[in-house]
Amino acid sequence: MNAATSQQTPAALHSRFDALDSLRRYGITIVFAILVVTMMITSPQFRTKGNFLNLLQQNSIIGILACGMTFAIILGGFDLSVGANAAMCSVVAAKIMIEVDIGLGIVAALIAGLMVGLFNGVLIAYVGVNPFVSTLGTMTIIRGLVFVYTNATPLFGVSFSFTRVGLGRSLGVPNPFWIFAAVALVLGALLGLTRFGQHIYAIGGNAVAARQMGINVKRTRLVVYAMIGVCAAISGIILVGQTATGQPAGALNYELTAIAAVIIGGATLSGGYGNLASTIVGVFLLGVVSNALNLFGVSPFWQPVATGSILVVAVAIDSAAARSARLVR
Amino acid sequence: MSESHVLTESPPVLQARDVSKEFGAVVALSDVSIDVYPGEIAGLVGDNGAGKSTLIKILSGVQSADRGTITLDGSSVHFTSPADARSAGIETVYQDLALAGNMTIWANIFLGRERTYGPPQLHLLDKRRMAQEAREMLERLDLNVPPINSTVASLSGGQRQAIAIARAAAWGSKVIILDEPTAALGVGETHAVEEVIVGLRDKGFGILMISHNLQQIDRLTDRIWVLRRGHMVDHCRKADTNLEEVVSLITGASRQFAKGLPA
Repeated sequence: MNAATSQQTPAALHSRFDALDSLRRYGITIVFAILVVTMMITSPQFRTKGNFLNLLQQNSIIGILACGMTFAIILGGFDLSVGANAAMCSVVAAKIMIEVDIGLGIVAALIAGLMVGLFNGVLIAYVGVNPFVSTLGTMTIIRGLVFVYTNATPLFGVSFSFTRVGLGRSLGVPNPFWIFAAVALVLGALLGLTRFGQHIYAIGGNAVAARQMGINVKRTRLVVYAMIGVCAAISGIILVGQTATGQPAGALNYELTAIAAVIIGGATLSGGYGNLASTIVGVFLLGVVSNALNLFGVSPFWQPVATGSILVVAVAIDSAAARSARLVR
Repeated sequence: MSESHVLTESPPVLQARDVSKEFGAVVALSDVSIDVYPGEIAGLVGDNGAGKSTLIKILSGVQSADRGTITLDGSSVHFTSPADARSAGIETVYQDLALAGNMTIWANIFLGRERTYGPPQLHLLDKRRMAQEAREMLERLDLNVPPINSTVASLSGGQRQAIAIARAAAWGSKVIILDEPTAALGVGETHAVEEVIVGLRDKGFGILMISHNLQQIDRLTDRIWVLRRGHMVDHCRKADTNLEEVVSLITGASRQFAKGLPA
């Protein structure tokens, strides 16, 4: 009877819609590839092994935070508290490592990060507080408490052997990158291959529909924010590993860089879109740009200018592509 | 359009008897009874606030009745959630389309009922199987839609409504409840969706449809049920009545169909 198609757009338009969709999705990867190739050609320092390892070293903490952030953004929210949470976890880890034991310090930091994540999750999923408000609140509260507790001075005295985690290498590759890679693999599989990941996309796309179809929206949101808390804790532990200190002022503004990386990767703040591979491209795009500025001797004060500009341009192009996709339909 | 459709004399697949629902002092439904027969479209009409939505919410498990009984296929049922109603065989298509635009057609058809493989704790998505099964489901319903991997955002309003209705039918349910299925659609798309609805009726589903569009009620339904201020004022075979009569019952100008069915 051909009922649903009698009036509809032909298949060609669907493929054009999907083509525009793919462009939105993979455009940033193309830009990234062009950037890297250009840098390889123009800068001999860029193409050294040392510089590549440096890139991996410098972007792993942001990368871990951005992986968690991707989940929140697909859900239609975000988490501003990850930087403060990472700083708090570095202080908790350092304190316990100094006074008790390194292993216990790691466990304590993971639990502390998880607690903050659960707190955010309960506020957002069950109390119904807007993610911006609730995570802005926890961000300022946590940062304040950490400053009060430490008097805003770093906690010295962590066994120097622990810097193996933050500065050491395995198989020639910085250890923070191995940790980042493990987090990205686990979270990528969770998001792309499991029912839980599918439900995150469904909630981000249409939370009412997800609820009507029997998906536990509240629990999914809670689990996501809890998971982000654990990502912040892992970042905090690496922070300790890089300096052998607890850093109350560490990871400052990292939440914004992480959000920028996810959005540059093609996710939308309205939710429903995004994936970990694109987020990782977004992280390294920002990383390579700041590395390039560095190599060309540009003042580091220009770096946030570059990050902000890339963010605005990426979102503007994405909005234009989304508009033409709607026109196709 | 369906003048030639022969009414079945099989027993109702869904029956509500003396269903009442109060919200504080407000009586939303008072001793309402309704029957939905297999292979028939029952039209539920009434003015705004007459209780249509409340009745549908009770039948689909969103709300529970204060009093009254619901029988499905002859056995009494009690729904405490929409999932209960769905697993018993009552699927509801809401006005606001319970589809996620960012996801593919197959992902929407399997929304909340994903097929998984491997160790049960991992809940790994069986994407290929879901795409294949979704394609078969739509074929069984004679529904021609764009490729199963298209995102729903790329579909027209009519195609989306067809997918939403097909999803309800695909799950092998006995009764499909449609809340204003074409309210947001243009003329051509309305026609296409109506064909889908008639197709499902011909496959033996019992269909209960709310519509404000009385021409549509006239075109599609086999029986018409009229709610007014929480009371089921009357019901009638479509063939035995006309639009003026229905309107006068909705507005309260008359109290029963001239040739009502024996109760």
